[in-house]
Amino acid sequence: MRTFCLLVLPNDTLEDIFVCNGCVGSYGSILKMSRNFLLPKSRFCEFFNYLKGLGKFFAPVRVSEQSFSFKEIENEGEIAWDALRTILPPKKFFYPQRETVLKYDRNEVEATVPEDNFQVIFGVHPCDLAGLGIMDTIFEAAPGDTHYTKRREQSLVIGLSCMPDKYCFCQSMGTSCPTKGYDLFLTDLGDAFFVQVETARAEQMLAGCNGLFSPVSENDKDSYKEFWIERDKAFTNGFEPDNLRSTLDMEWDNPLWDELGKRCLSCGNCTPVCPTCYCFDLVDIANLNGQSGERQREWDSCQFVGFAQVAGDYNFRPTPVDRLKFWYRHKLHGFDDPYGFKTCVGCGRCTVSCPSGIDDIVDVVKRLQGNNEQPNK
Amino acid sequence: METNPRPCIAVEGLTGCAGELLVILENLDKLLPFVRVASFPFAQSQNDDGPVDIAFVEGSVSQPHDLEKLKRIRAKARWLVAVGNCAVWGCVQGGACAKCKVTDMLEAVYGQHSEIQALESRPLDAYVNVDVKLSGCPIDKTQFLSVTASLLKDHLPYITHKPVCLECKLNENPCVLIEKNLPCLGPVTAAGCGALCPSLGAACYGCWGPSQAPQMDAMATILSEKGYEALEIMNRLKTFGAPEHLFERMNV
Ligand code: SF4
Ligand code: SF4
Ligand code: SF4
Ligand code: SF4
Repeated sequence: MRTFCLLVLPNDTLEDIFVCNGCVGSYGSILKMSRNFLLPKSRFCEFFNYLKGLGKFFAPVRVSEQSFSFKEIENEGEIAWDALRTILPPKKFFYPQRETVLKYDRNEVEATVPEDNFQVIFGVHPCDLAGLGIMDTIFEAAPGDTHYTKRREQSLVIGLSCMPDKYCFCQSMGTSCPTKGYDLFLTDLGDAFFVQVETARAEQMLAGCNGLFSPVSENDKDSYKEFWIERDKAFTNGFEPDNLRSTLDMEWDNPLWDELGKRCLSCGNCTPVCPTCYCFDLVDIANLNGQSGERQREWDSCQFVGFAQVAGDYNFRPTPVDRLKFWYRHKLHGFDDPYGFKTCVGCGRCTVSCPSGIDDIVDVVKRLQGNNEQPNK
Repeated sequence: METNPRPCIAVEGLTGCAGELLVILENLDKLLPFVRVASFPFAQSQNDDGPVDIAFVEGSVSQPHDLEKLKRIRAKARWLVAVGNCAVWGCVQGGACAKCKVTDMLEAVYGQHSEIQALESRPLDAYVNVDVKLSGCPIDKTQFLSVTASLLKDHLPYITHKPVCLECKLNENPCVLIEKNLPCLGPVTAAGCGALCPSLGAACYGCWGPSQAPQMDAMATILSEKGYEALEIMNRLKTFGAPEHLFERMNV
């Protein structure tokens, strides 16, 4: 298992995080020499207010004892800094749960265009950034989903470091270190954030508030490295994904699937919560006048019996176990051949959102791998 | 006489709480430009018994005169739409009939020699062909209007049978089954209400009737693991008229 994620942190090489000490002049001069700087927490409020002035500001807020949700906030005190996973992942900002994609009347069909609305999505953790990267690949592939792309273009995504809990397994999935999907990334160093600027857009945005930042010192760099080394050590589930591909192929008929299938409610909770599930349904809603209407798309789930039902009342995944197996394979193996990546980013949302407790990917895969230890949860 | 007459509708009630009739009445202003209301005894005093394009029927068949009325409506309607859980599934009175004998209930409520004639309470399709089933308790107005719009074009409407959990998750609610151990039936109940109850922190008690292919056995297993007694689980699952065949695989 990889122990140092530092080496692949956003800019790939250590050199990239080196900064020129003492360059505090104009923002431009910082940029020339560095893409990293420090934001003291005492100035976070000003940073927040500055970003808030750019558009709507969304961040994780607490919605129940156990749950968080990305919501629009008015002041920084609403941010739930301890949020690990929100109920829905940030895909909802670019690919909303429900939206009208076209309107029609007797004479014409008009594709709808998302509103011009700049938004800042703050506090996105590495697994979710990886999820957004995967969604980008899917939705931006030709011919491209114009709704998704437009919303993505008018959003600033700010990543935030985290410490894993027992359900997190991004490290095993190779997604624990952000490589794409964000504009800025903040690593929490205790009394300051180590800020990494990734995109030209972020550089432009920040031009208006460069007075808040200070240059990164040797000490800061050490703290930064320490943080990520400690974080790497904090993953405890010992999930080894190396043989996932052969395991899933080989264990297609393992009796474990039937055991899980019997418990599956087909409730579909596992898919909307997944940062990389993208399936939708399209429904035409006619107006009473019989002349016009609109087409809406809404998230769908492969766990519903109607999902694979086709003409002639044939269903190619008729039972819960068929659908559950399909989902596991889709997340852990399905994209290997066409794309060379897995669509599970290890966020643990399905595990905590399954009322039946059967979406414990780590536990299920370990059992398929032949490790029958009782789960530690 | 209109040269191009508007489609005719009838809105009728059998044994039910008139919830659907109220929803339709509340939204009648939206329909009136496009339809003629031939019959709606709940809302108007002049009704005719001629043929209609769409008949919306609320309530379950619980008495002989319900059945006669239903047959008359079927005979005059091109589209027969069962509206509400009573008409689609039999609702609580249907659920009760699945548990107790109708003669026992009759005696318990009206005494030994009552004049009341009661049938085992059943949904409309137990007796006649039903073209469209729009469940709800009461029905959702958005669904009702879109179903009506489709039928006015002679299109079979789309009505979702996905579970309440979908709407619940799309609303991004914390799950009350997981977080509060409430006996939420969202996984086996048809969506349409917008996950009303869980959105307010309460368990879904299944008022829309079963979703498509509900996993009743898995639902019962999960509730029993949470400490609910088998009898209570079955009572909950069957309260809103879920038919017996959905429980065949269960050994609870
Ligand atoms: S499959 Fe589960 S753990 Fe993996 S990305 Fe989706 S929700 Fe997260
Ligand atoms: S695996 Fe769990 S969350 Fe997914 S459909 Fe089955 S019971 Fe629901
Ligand atoms: S609260 Fe109920 S309806 Fe909502 S996700 Fe949980 S089980 Fe499903
Ligand atoms: S959540 Fe369940 S009980 Fe509540 S309105 Fe919807 S279907 Fe009825």
